[in-house]
Amino acid sequence: MDLVIALTINGLVWGLIVALIALGLSIIFGLLDIINVAHGDFFMVGTVLALVIAGTTGFWIALVLVPLLGLAMGLVVERLIIRPTISAASLTIVTTFGLSMILQETVRATFGAQPRRMAAPIQGTIPLFGLEYDVYRLFAAAFAALCIVAFFLFLSRTTLGTWIRAVRQDRETATALGIPVVRVCAFTFGLGTAMALLGGAIAAPITTVEFRTGVDILPVSFMAVVIGGLGNLKGTVAAAVLLAVLEGLISSFADPTLARITSLAVMCMVLLVKPRGLFAGATR
Amino acid sequence: MTGMDTALSIKGLTKRFGGLTAVDNIDIQFPKGILNAVIGPNGAGKTTLFNLVTGMVPATSGRVMFEGNDLIGRAPHEIVSRGLSRTLQIKSVFGGMSVMDNIRIAVFAHEGISSPFRPARGYRAANDRVEHILEDTGLDRLASSSAGALSYGDVALLEIALALANKPRLLLLDEPICGMSPSETERTVERIVRLAETTDIILIEHDMEVVFAIADLITVMAQGQLLMQGTPNEVAGDSGVQEVYLGTPEDME
Amino acid sequence: MTAQRLKWLGVAAVAAGLGLAPVLLKFFGGLFWINVIAEILIWSLLAASVNLLLGYVGLLSFGQALYFGFGMYGVAIGISQFGLGLWPAFFLGIAAATAMAAVAGAIAVRLTWHYFAIITVVFSLIFYFVAMSAKSITGGDDGLSFSAPPLWKAAGWLLTDRTVQYYFIYLVCAACFTGMAFLIASPLGMRFNAVRDNEQRASLIGINVYYTRWIAFVISGLLAGVGGALFALFGRYASASYMFYHVSGEAVVWAIVGGIGSLLGPLVGTALLILFRELVSGLWENYLIAVGAFVILVVMFAPRGIVGIFSDLVEGRDRRKADARAALRNLAEAE
Repeated sequence: MDLVIALTINGLVWGLIVALIALGLSIIFGLLDIINVAHGDFFMVGTVLALVIAGTTGFWIALVLVPLLGLAMGLVVERLIIRPTISAASLTIVTTFGLSMILQETVRATFGAQPRRMAAPIQGTIPLFGLEYDVYRLFAAAFAALCIVAFFLFLSRTTLGTWIRAVRQDRETATALGIPVVRVCAFTFGLGTAMALLGGAIAAPITTVEFRTGVDILPVSFMAVVIGGLGNLKGTVAAAVLLAVLEGLISSFADPTLARITSLAVMCMVLLVKPRGLFAGATR
Repeated sequence: MTGMDTALSIKGLTKRFGGLTAVDNIDIQFPKGILNAVIGPNGAGKTTLFNLVTGMVPATSGRVMFEGNDLIGRAPHEIVSRGLSRTLQIKSVFGGMSVMDNIRIAVFAHEGISSPFRPARGYRAANDRVEHILEDTGLDRLASSSAGALSYGDVALLEIALALANKPRLLLLDEPICGMSPSETERTVERIVRLAETTDIILIEHDMEVVFAIADLITVMAQGQLLMQGTPNEVAGDSGVQEVYLGTPEDME
Repeated sequence: MTAQRLKWLGVAAVAAGLGLAPVLLKFFGGLFWINVIAEILIWSLLAASVNLLLGYVGLLSFGQALYFGFGMYGVAIGISQFGLGLWPAFFLGIAAATAMAAVAGAIAVRLTWHYFAIITVVFSLIFYFVAMSAKSITGGDDGLSFSAPPLWKAAGWLLTDRTVQYYFIYLVCAACFTGMAFLIASPLGMRFNAVRDNEQRASLIGINVYYTRWIAFVISGLLAGVGGALFALFGRYASASYMFYHVSGEAVVWAIVGGIGSLLGPLVGTALLILFRELVSGLWENYLIAVGAFVILVVMFAPRGIVGIFSDLVEGRDRRKADARAALRNLAEAE
């Protein structure tokens, strides 16, 4: 029973982090209409940067610095390789695939190929549902949730957020209204990238840090985006949490691979039966 | 009117998009052997009617009888292969192919030719038909041009040629002369009239001058309903029709 | 017409060059390269399967590794578990891949665009995880090794003879590409193009779009399956890791870099990137950085791929002439 509870809470924690990353993927997809295959690697870069910066100046500074670096990185990437190939979506898959190679190999070349672990910045455990649970994991969940809330507030309360929503809704009308669409798209790519790196920074103390972790996180984020409904941001969050908890639960009594296969099968069904996502209609 | 004399018979056809009823329980008979036209202000449901008939939009309810068979519930390609072709309001062809290949693929589709081995250019009978259609529509001058580089009027013409490749017994034309120059219009109208001698045609057209000049029977739609059906003279003299056109125009489309 | 003839001349030159490769390499004493070329040929089939869908039907599949994997495991399991001979195992692999594509395709082609790309990845991921966990059958990540039965016992042809192996692979690939050349020029190939260009118009001339896409998907699965079957025989080995989505992704990259919608584009792209790997990986451990940059640059500056550059050069003159003629005609029409 303890194991079930532990894995369920683990699922919840991980789900909130994935939600943050998947939201980044989703706004990029919604606005620029590209499938960013390098998004998982942005997460990976986040974990590595967090580890490196935490080693020199401390974890809390890393938590602030990493998303800022992510924003800068996203802006540069958008300008250099996304914008010139945006006209054809199949091309952007290839460019982001190339980017993914570059990111992974650069990290391997500089950081090394060995997986590393990072000490949690908050030590200790607290009692929770009858077991001793890591404080940092709870902090990570709360912080990810906070960032998600902040993201939604940003979209609904700020001018820039409104612009993003406007471009998502109707690009032509947005242009006609004088919204700088190209710059909004660039910023969105930066923001999405920053969210992936931030997710990496939050996750760094509770996962292995190596150049390959992006390959695993990408399908998971995609599942959340698709099951939640392409373009449905709240659905993405719900799907990410739901999937992670489900996988946690299933892994408590069966092979984790079976859990992964189950969520992939769910994704298939959603694509076929409700291609607009499990929660289509609920939030419209 | 019995089934024998109708080209298309529509019974109780309805289409609702959410709360909007685009086509509202319509009954229309389109007689055989004459040139039919459908007119009506924007939002009258004319194009939706064509979309329902050709299976491009699923009907909410009703029946569409063509040569004794109900077309409702069938896929567009099935309906086409039963001998009912249409052109679209927004013209489009296969932009990556030459004009000749556009017609060739349409001929192949009609003949059910889909061999994966034989060279496509080696079908003599099909080649003859392609040549014939090219000459017939006056597109032979553009045979080897890329369809993606045609003028809008030529695209409209090519659309008609594609529809003809199917040897249709009923042809639905949705604003065939829209976007054409005066000289192109004149020639296309001539062609349509000539075509009507051998093929049943139902025409949607906004150019009233053309409609009243060539149509034998005019069907007037307004707000998803059938307003009236009559000869050009009857329609011109009808006060209800004048009200629809001259009264408050509703631009719903 | 000259452009067309030049293109076929190019294709013939490539075919002849590859056919003579063992002789030439033997002469220059570099028989190591014969296996590299064999590998290029095998992987080019996977890239060709991507090209058939993306270049001719307009569907981007990110899951072709699945059918490659079925071809691969069909051979490996056929030989190691069922004790089949080389040819029966070879056809078992191809049949398994084609059957899988027939089933997956029936579902996948109901979707288009991003949704299609995503569901193809999902299918391949599901079977990747299945293959990873069914270790007793597939060997999982470690894979399944076996020794290849003779190609032709009576003649003493064995795959361990590198030249024999090469010609076996060369002939199978040549057959596949020839088949594809016929397919492209056939009425069915035209149907594919019609569906790619304008789905709605295709259905309005009587083409069953869904069925046409499905056929293309199955043929494409077959191509990938042949590649996988050859790969298993070539390495005497099959591993679940070749079913991961990264392998599918690489195939997409090869196809696009070489040139989508051209017969030999996938072969050129595969050759370029594998040769690049062979040449640079010895010099620089992190050569993948260069590969990534190269891929991005090709897509940015030659969106129609390497073959696209050549056909632009060859066709350019012809097309300019034709365009000028058309413009003149339009002018005359207008007056």
